[in-house]
Amino acid sequence: MSWIGNLVAVALVLGALLLWRRARRSRLWREALTALRRRRPIALTVVGVFVLIALMDTVAWTGGGGAEGVAASKPRSVLDRIFSPETFREKSYSAPFARTEFIGGAALTFPRRHPLGTDLLGDDVLYKTLKGVKVALLIGGLTCLVLIPLALLFGVSSGYFGGRIDDVVFFVMSTLASIPNLLLLIALIMALGKGTLQVCFALGITGWVGLSRITRAETLKLRELEYVQAARALGVSNLKILSQHILPNLAHLVIITFALLFTGLVLSETILSYLGIGLDGSWGRMIDQARNELSRDPIIWWNIAAASTALFVLVLCVNLIADALRDILDPRTLNERK
Amino acid sequence: MLAFIARRLVFGFATVLGVLLVLFVLFFAVTDPDQVARRAVGERASPETYEAWKRNHGYDKPLLINRTHGAATLARYTDTLLVEHYRRMLSFDFGRSDADDAPIWQRIKEGIGPSLSLTVPLFLLGLVVGIALSLFVAFFRETYIDRSVLVLCMLGMSIASLIYIIGGQYLIGKLLRWFPISGFDPNPAVILRFLAIPVLVGVLAEFGGTVRLYRTVFLEEANRDYVRTARAKGAGEVRVMVAHVLRNALLPILTNVVLAIPFLFIGSILFESFFGIPGLGALTVEAINGNDFSTLRTMVYIGALLFIAGQILTDISYSMADPRVRLGQGVQS
Amino acid sequence: MFRTMSRLRIGTVAFALVLVACTNDPYPGADRTAKVYYTSFSLAPKSLDPAVAYNVAAHAVTANVHDTLLEYHYLARPYRLIPGLASAIPKPVTLPDGRIQYVFQIRKGLLFHDDAAFALAGKDASGEPKRTREVIAADFAFELMRIADPAVGSPVVRKFAAIAGFLEFRKRLRVLRAGDKSFAKLPAHRQYARAGGVPGLKVDGNYTLRLILTRADPQILYWFALPFTTPVPWEAVQYYDGKGGRPHFQDHPVGTGPYRMSVYDKQFRMVLVKSPNWYGARHPEWKAPAATFPSRAEIARMAPGRIDPVYAGRALPFIARIEFRREKESIPRFNKFLQGYFDRSGIIKESFDQMVQNDALSPKMAKRGIKLEKTVEASIFYVGFNMLDKTVGAAAGERSRKLRQAMSLAIDVKEHLRLFANGRGVAAHAPIPPGLFGYDAKYKNPYRGFDLKRAKALLVAAGYKNGIDPATGKPLRLTFDTGNTQAQAMLRYQYFVNAWRRIGLDVEVKATNYNQFLQKLKVGAYQIYFTGWIADFPDPENFLFLLETSSGRKVSGGSNYSNFTDPEYDALYKRMRALPNGTERRETIRSMLAILERERPWIELYHDEDYTLIQPWLRNARSFGLSYPTLKYLDIVPGQRAQLRTQWNQPVVWPAWILLGLIAAFVLPGIATFFRERQ
Repeated sequence: MSWIGNLVAVALVLGALLLWRRARRSRLWREALTALRRRRPIALTVVGVFVLIALMDTVAWTGGGGAEGVAASKPRSVLDRIFSPETFREKSYSAPFARTEFIGGAALTFPRRHPLGTDLLGDDVLYKTLKGVKVALLIGGLTCLVLIPLALLFGVSSGYFGGRIDDVVFFVMSTLASIPNLLLLIALIMALGKGTLQVCFALGITGWVGLSRITRAETLKLRELEYVQAARALGVSNLKILSQHILPNLAHLVIITFALLFTGLVLSETILSYLGIGLDGSWGRMIDQARNELSRDPIIWWNIAAASTALFVLVLCVNLIADALRDILDPRTLNERK
Repeated sequence: MLAFIARRLVFGFATVLGVLLVLFVLFFAVTDPDQVARRAVGERASPETYEAWKRNHGYDKPLLINRTHGAATLARYTDTLLVEHYRRMLSFDFGRSDADDAPIWQRIKEGIGPSLSLTVPLFLLGLVVGIALSLFVAFFRETYIDRSVLVLCMLGMSIASLIYIIGGQYLIGKLLRWFPISGFDPNPAVILRFLAIPVLVGVLAEFGGTVRLYRTVFLEEANRDYVRTARAKGAGEVRVMVAHVLRNALLPILTNVVLAIPFLFIGSILFESFFGIPGLGALTVEAINGNDFSTLRTMVYIGALLFIAGQILTDISYSMADPRVRLGQGVQS
Repeated sequence: MFRTMSRLRIGTVAFALVLVACTNDPYPGADRTAKVYYTSFSLAPKSLDPAVAYNVAAHAVTANVHDTLLEYHYLARPYRLIPGLASAIPKPVTLPDGRIQYVFQIRKGLLFHDDAAFALAGKDASGEPKRTREVIAADFAFELMRIADPAVGSPVVRKFAAIAGFLEFRKRLRVLRAGDKSFAKLPAHRQYARAGGVPGLKVDGNYTLRLILTRADPQILYWFALPFTTPVPWEAVQYYDGKGGRPHFQDHPVGTGPYRMSVYDKQFRMVLVKSPNWYGARHPEWKAPAATFPSRAEIARMAPGRIDPVYAGRALPFIARIEFRREKESIPRFNKFLQGYFDRSGIIKESFDQMVQNDALSPKMAKRGIKLEKTVEASIFYVGFNMLDKTVGAAAGERSRKLRQAMSLAIDVKEHLRLFANGRGVAAHAPIPPGLFGYDAKYKNPYRGFDLKRAKALLVAAGYKNGIDPATGKPLRLTFDTGNTQAQAMLRYQYFVNAWRRIGLDVEVKATNYNQFLQKLKVGAYQIYFTGWIADFPDPENFLFLLETSSGRKVSGGSNYSNFTDPEYDALYKRMRALPNGTERRETIRSMLAILERERPWIELYHDEDYTLIQPWLRNARSFGLSYPTLKYLDIVPGQRAQLRTQWNQPVVWPAWILLGLIAAFVLPGIATFFRERQ
């Protein structure tokens, strides 16, 4: 099934390029992007690197030497091929850049070659941390892919069309919003099962209400604008109005909310991992598996430190970008520029 | 006014019905009662034990249509799990836990005390610390104090709460030995020491987000015209901040905060689980681990009820303060 | 300004209060001088009904609250039965009609714990409702009939199947209840009487219980040392029905034991207190074997240097109160032990190297006065194959046999124990653990070594060269099924997967929630699994029955998860079961093990080894290896405990001052500048 992953990777890259081209056509967006680049160069670079790592882990194919036995029969990504996890392993724990095993002191197979050490089963921690990047981006990205269209659909239609649709959507939103997030999440996952898709789906369902409310409020405001009212009076089709006037003006909200949601989702996955219903290979899982090791004496800190730091760096950078975006895309400053 | 209250209540009730429907779909339509029975009773029991168990726990009826009754009778549609579910939940008859047969009401009554003893101090202390710190920072705006605290907040927001808990337990409980790492005892002589680490860790974990938020509110308030007038009239900065800014900014802050009050009752899943506090959050975690659907259902239902009640109260109190709200659809953020 | 100043004052006072309350002692100060034993439990007991309770947490309570007819000698190894509530261990007598009879003589003058339920028994001499009554033989029979009762749901029904008419009684109850609604409403003891009781359970007067078995079943005596066969008063079962604000019987045990339950808050605290009604407390002059500490000679012979002879021959129990506290996480639990707040503890994996060095207690711990006890538990942990599966099971004949043998050779148990148990544990070659009859320390199972070359050769012979499945051209895909998704368990399963990968097999871990796992077991839809079994009693039958056909999971919902069935094995099992320990039994067991060796329904991994740490103030602690009541033998020295706890728990306060100092240094210049500028 590796071709799905490859397809997704290609689609993402193409989609990003298309958006980029479209954005550059509008002076507004061009300026916004330049401002962002100026204010948060480091955060952008870091996120860029993370995305690159995730892509390297998505593009996978079977065969092509470098592995044997069971590993050769499965699709291996670029990341897998760089690290060769089947052979590049030890028996058990070893400290970063160590020459001997942590317990027992036997010589390592690859002395001084593990920058972040190895875990209980001997897997290289750097490799596992990098694998976690894709999972984190998946949690944030895939969920938002489900969540944002859903929220937009409900929010915009209820704000734009009003009346009955508004009442129904409002009712559904209230119902879902009334159930405490974590509890609803848990209930959904217990009912649906524990796969990646199910967890992302559950996260999506519990998260769309907030964005929906915001877009609804914004759509209500936009609907009252003069040129929108004029367009309606002229008989322009609703679809055209939505796609040309309403949706583009919601873009800034969506982007900011996306960034905030992203960090919230990634952080809540750690809680799900603690409860045993998180995703395989995620940093939350790594933290959960390794948290008891902090009590060892001498302490084994590198696996939990690696996962926490990676998580922290990603969340911090996205938070910084979201912060900057909020200032840049503030409607007041946007209108001034217009 | 009365019309508004009535409308709000009716809408709230409709929402409750909606929530119950969601719960029904999740817990009855998607799960297999046989498995739940086996998990509860053990695998070596006789078939009658399973049937008896299913009967006791309300899993023995068909989902939507009970074909054992005639086609034209009401019972065909009312003697079903759906109707039973609604009837029991609305009358607060929560029945027994799927995992160990304990009456759920009993467990809830036992769990509320410990939960509140953790969430209330956490909430109050977090509020006080948040407001005090953000006021302090707003007072010293644009100085190095302001900027460094902002950086700290940003860093603090980016650390997962799990890490805060693990680190806090390790540091304060194990290395410094100030307070017990975990555990709980309602005995008033010792209860404080068990709450020390969870409250400290909890306040630390959320201060990043709250301080940033409140600081923005305070700064907005501090830039308003009447404040500038007060300063021009010669009032001291401290007096300005405390007597004017704080008092007026408190209202929007508190409205946001009031919405969190219902959740104080259902406890914190993460904290109670790590610190061994036997409250409602721990009850929920056990329900998850033990596949105890009836308890989980009840907890979700209660959480939703509290939230809806809180929203209604906020709406009503806001509408009494601001008549414009009555004409709209309530307080929307 | 005023507001700020008063806030500052309040803040300082609060901070000072916090400092004063600064202590990590979780217990109230009043208990410092009391003889209280502190221990923990991680899972709340589901049921304390002695006929039903079958998990460790429940046993910790029921075993101390209930007495049994027979018990085990505290110090003797191998394990030896001693009389408990019975005055002697009965010997089997063959009756003229071929059936076997055991006669238990029960001690006179035994009392139940004081309980409100005995109001149902009538009034006593002074006209008050009775608070207790004497234990009679009928109470034992009542409990055995409860085990047979399908409504009680006892997991050990089949263990008593040898009693004449036992299973028929069960059927009769079922039929009578289905046919007559008014019968079903009667209290339990009346239903049993109406149904005619069990023919094989005869009560002669108040103090004699006769057991008649349809076949020889020497192991049945062991079941009389487990709480399942404790005497249960019908009053308690009838009174504690969960109605009228009364608890359910499963939450309110009424027994005869040295302790009774005073607090049952099963989510976080259980408390047992000494019961004055216990026969050991009321009649120390009886010198009853189960109420008296072993003699000086026995101590010298069985546990020299470990037990202080001052206890020889003294009346039990010594501890006044037992406090169970709920501790779900293993690390805080262990840390509390190190701080002196629990009296006994295992060693968690993470701290093992600090506690144990060179296979003995580390000098740091020894300096504290802590002692280490090592026992090999009577248990077996193994990876099993589902013999009903078409790829790994019996249907594929020689091919799957070689596959199983190959997979058995690919697992390095020593390495596994090193990673997951700090090297603790005894590598297993057969199901029977050390300490039990039939265990042969010299026996080496040829398929339980670690030999990748041979494993690969066997795969070739099985037609899976390099692990490739000729049908697909890819490595053979197998599934490993589990209902346990905890992080530590998943790491363990990953270890197995990695091991099998090395011989080219592609095993996938399919972890589901527990319900779905049970469903898989029910329909037989699984291939490989991991589980363990801890002995109920010290006899090889308790392990070998796990592979006998009638215990099959699919067949009867039993514990033979492998669904292993072999007519020769079954025949040998039936013979072995009835034989006394001796050469013939040993030979029979050897033949059974030879079958298992060849067929490989299990990959026997290890017998668990228990390392227990004991605080210096805890006396007479001896690891038992079976789940068994030993609290009555323990003693505490409270003075020593209080002193050491204070010594070990001085709070470290200087970081707080430094932190305060740093904050002040950070903030004060800003404040000072600000005020200066205002001037």
